[in-house]
This record gives sequence, C-alpha cells and structure tokens, in this order.
Amino acid sequence: MPKVTFINPDETRVELEVPVGTSLMRAATAHGLDGIVGDCGGGLTCATCHVLVQEEFLPNTPSMTPNEEQMLDFTAMGRQINSRLSCQLVMTEELDGLTVRIADPQL
Amino acid sequence: MTNTSAATSLPEAPVLDIDPFSDENIENPYEFHRILRETAPVVFIEKYNMYAVGRYEAVRTVMSDFERFTSEGGVGLSDIRKPGAWRTASPITEIDPPRHTKVRGALTKVISPIVIRQWREVFAAEAEKIADRVVEQGEIEAVHDLVEAFILKAFPDVLGVDMPRENFLDIGEMNFNQIGPNNELLKKSLEKVEPILPAFQRAFQREAMLPGGFGEKIFEAEDKGEFEAGTAGPHVRSFLRAGVDTTIAGIGHTLNLLAQNPGEWEKIKADPTKVRGAFDEAIRLQSPSQVMFRTTVRDTDLDGYRMAGDVKVGSFLGAANRDQRKFVDPDRFDVDRESAGVHLALGVGHHICIGQMIARLEAECILGAVARRVKRIELTGEPRYRLVNTLRTLEHLPLRLVAA
Ligand code: HEM
Ligand code: HEM
Repeated sequence: MPKVTFINPDETRVELEVPVGTSLMRAATAHGLDGIVGDCGGGLTCATCHVLVQEEFLPNTPSMTPNEEQMLDFTAMGRQINSRLSCQLVMTEELDGLTVRIADPQL
Repeated sequence: MTNTSAATSLPEAPVLDIDPFSDENIENPYEFHRILRETAPVVFIEKYNMYAVGRYEAVRTVMSDFERFTSEGGVGLSDIRKPGAWRTASPITEIDPPRHTKVRGALTKVISPIVIRQWREVFAAEAEKIADRVVEQGEIEAVHDLVEAFILKAFPDVLGVDMPRENFLDIGEMNFNQIGPNNELLKKSLEKVEPILPAFQRAFQREAMLPGGFGEKIFEAEDKGEFEAGTAGPHVRSFLRAGVDTTIAGIGHTLNLLAQNPGEWEKIKADPTKVRGAFDEAIRLQSPSQVMFRTTVRDTDLDGYRMAGDVKVGSFLGAANRDQRKFVDPDRFDVDRESAGVHLALGVGHHICIGQMIARLEAECILGAVARRVKRIELTGEPRYRLVNTLRTLEHLPLRLVAA
C-alpha cells in the first residue's frame, strides 16, 4: 500500500499507509492526527484540512477544482505556493512516498 | 422520447408509475425511494415528464456532471427557460460553470469559513438563552419553541435582513413547493403567501439590509463589480430561500432521532462534540432538500440506459442517502458514522451547499446547549411532518426535556 508522511506542526513525523482511493484528509483524521480538522468531511467548504505538499510531488497531485482554488484563499494559515486541501488529495500509486506538512493553524 | 442518435442499442429508462409528490409519498417517501433505487439507475415518470434517479452514484453524476445535466433549466421541475414557466434564474444555483465559478468565488469571499467562525459567539449566546427557556418549560413543541425560535432569530440576524420573522415559514413552504409540480399543495401555499409577498420582495432590497450583516456585504460586493449589476438582491433572496427551512428541518430531525434512539443520545451526553455527527447523520436519513432537478442537455445515457435530451431529471437526494450500495445498514441512525462529506443531503460537486458550515455551526450551538442541560429527551406524542413537495420537515415534535 502506498505511504504518506505527515509532518505535524510540532515537527514530529507520522508515516501512514493510505489505500488507493482514500483521501489524505480521511487517512489523517482516521489516525487521530489532530492537526487536520476536516470539519465538512470533504465538501470544500471549511478549509480546515490544509497541507503544504513537498514540492517534487506537486506535479503528481491531481489538478485543482475551482472550488478548491477558491477555498485555499480562506485557510487560517494563509495560502502558500504549495498549499492543497488534503480532502482533494486522493491516494494513487504515483503518490507513494508523498510528504506533506500540516498547516498551522487550521481554525 | 424515442429517436435518440447516440447509443440507440441501449434500453430506454423504464417507466415508473408512482407519483413522488402525492400526499402519501411526501409524508413517507421511503417506500417510493426503495422502488426507485431497485427499479433501475434511472426511471421515467410520465405524469411529470421527468426522469428520476435515486441510487447514490447516479445522483452524484446527475448533480455534478453539468456538461450533460445542466442547472440552467432551473433546479425545480419546470424549465425556467420555457414559455409559461419562464422566470429569472437564481444567480448562483441556476448557472453552470464557467459562469458559476466566478459567482461562487465572490460569494465564498462574503461567507468564507473565517467569517462564519466569527459568528460562533452570536449563535451560542442565543442558543443558551433559548435552551434555558425550553428546559424550564420541560414539555415543549420542539419545532416551534426550540428550533424555529433559534433559527428565525440567529439566521436573519447574521444575514442582516429586516422581515417579519413569522413570514419566513410560509415563504419557505412556497419555495419548496415550487421546486415540485404545480399541484394543490403549491396552489394553497401561493394563496397563503399572497398577502406577505410585498414584504418578502422588500426584504431583499438594498434598503432592507441591516448594518453589519452579510446581506449588506453582498450589496457592497456588487458595487465593487464582484457580482453582476442587479444580482445582489437575488443573492440575498437565494440565501433566504436556501438557509432557513433546510436548517430548521435538519435540527428538528436530529432532535427527533435522538429522542427515538436513547443509545445514541447517551453517546452525545458522554461527548457533546458528537452533536455534529448527529446532525449530519440526521440530514442523511431525513434529507431536508429531498430532490433537486437538472435538465438533460442532449440525448445521453446513464449506467446503461438511454435518456432523451431536454428533459428534467429529479435527483432524489433522500433516496441516495439510504442506498445500501453506499451505506452499511442504511436505515440506522449512527452518530459515529462520519457521514459528513459522504451523504448527499447538501448536494455534491460545484454547487455543493455553500452555507453548510453555517448550518453545522447553528446545529452545534443549539443542540450542544440542550445536551448540556438535559439528561434525557423523550417523545410525548407522535411527530408529524409538514406536507411540502420537496422539503422534508417536521411540523410537530412534542418533547419532554428531563433536566440534568
Ligand atoms: C408569484 C410570483 C412568482 C412565482 C410563481 C415564482 C416561481 C418561482 C419558482 C417555481 C421558482 C423555483 C423554485 C426554486 O427552484 O427555488 C422560483 C425561484 C426564483 N424566483 Fe420566482 N416566482 C415568482 C416571483 C419572483 C419574482 C418577482 C422574482 C424576482 C424579483 C423571482 C426570482 C426568482 C429567483 C431569483 C429564483 C431562484 C431561486 C433561488 O435559487 O433562490 N421570482 N420562482
Ligand atoms: C441543513 C441545511 C441545508 C441543506 C440540507 C442544504 C441543501 C443544499 C443543497 C442540496 C444544495 C445544492 C443545490 C444544487 O446542487 O442544485 C445547496 C446549495 C446552496 N445552499 Fe444550502 N442547504 C442547507 C443550509 C444552507 C444555509 C444555512 C445556507 C445559507 C447560508 C445555504 C445556502 C445555499 C446556497 C447559496 C446554495 C447554492 C450554491 C451553489 O449553487 O453554488 N444552505 N444547499
């Protein structure tokens, strides 16, 4: 199963096996990573599952829908060049080894 | 209906001889939903010259694939582009991308999650007051005394509109009747609102906006050119239509389901943050907005069935939300199911409910305030549903609140 490394705000790292087809937001909340809130469950209306994607993986990530594009402007941390909402990062084999930093704050 | 050019080898969507808008099926839609799901991915209902979909995946497709299923014919049963039914389109729900994208962006700015979170204190203060009152009463009719008392104060306050509060419910009833067919229910509710329509029309004009509300912000954004000239009023109107009755319905269903499932209530008592899960689970099971419409852009097909172009398609959200292809033990109310983001009660895709974090915040504040004060909630009579074509909502929910 492909793996993803989350870097928590306190710099600790957590590596998770994420089944293909599962979003990083679901994987993180299911494993109790408190830095990911995911209030709306993936509806692109809360902007509380904000992550910063390690840049070499950006080309492999799925393209952004307009709704994600718009919501990133309303993240609590503020938008960075490598910002994504992790509910939209659905696991694929190509994303194996992906590293993301959990944005802080989310709320 | 025949004479499709594409995929002519596929069977036509089978005819289903059921009236989704009969009084019986409005009152208890679940048998209709079951038949709808089991008959085929898409069926045709002759009485209304409409297709209907009720399986989870089919509903997702119809709601979000705008190139085949447009919103521009209106989100109701009648096609707003046709003579006889013509009316102005909603400036947000009834346009497709790419036009929709720009409008959605501008609205998102007005009610971004950052803005919404600032309302927590306003909602919480009002919720505490109402909770104190109803707990002291002990035996209440919860729809009126608790849910409407809260939403009809909290929501118009943040929207910043000035309209007699008692008008909201009749207007709402008319709206959700209008999404369905032109039947007796619609005729009656149109008669009922006639005297208050002028007040409703005034409520979404610039002069009616109260300082500090987000209605005012919508007009300011129009002035800055972020919305097309003349659309600020209709936007405020859309919020009035979309944000009041749905939320009242959802909170009412949550209370009803918690009263009927004491085991789930215990989980809330142990961890009050679970009121959010309870609310999403309640709107999954009792979807306030039962059906939204799209129109086929041209002849097309869905899961192996042929569909003719330029015909309305009803997406039965309430049916999809109990599809066992998607949900394990679908009729069970489970506050730990984590159905937010999975159920379709708030729509799906680019038109997904833009007010959902407001609805959740309202629900969390009022349900949390009640849960902290109350040991048990019990039904003291039969709950009754209101007969509205496309809105599933309670009109009567007699409850006893046993103070902690
Ligand atoms: C008694 C007269 C009217 C009738 C019978 C009527 C009929 C309808 C119907 C059937 C709908 C569809 C319900 C829905 O899809 O939400 C609707 C929605 C709408 N109507 Fe009317 N209408 C009337 C007056 C007006 C007026 C005077 C305006 C404009 C100032 C207007 C603007 C709209 C808009 C913008 C929507 C979109 C609803 C939304 O998404 O908020 N209507 N109307
Ligand atoms: C439990 C409560 C609610 C339910 C069940 C609900 C349901 C829905 C549904 C099903 C849609 C999708 C319509 C479509 O795709 O054609 C929608 C869209 C919308 N909702 Fe809600 N809603 C709720 C609360 C609210 C609130 C509180 C507001 C206002 C603040 C609101 C404002 C809107 C608006 C403006 C849209 C149109 C978005 C767009 O077209 O991009 N809703 N809602």
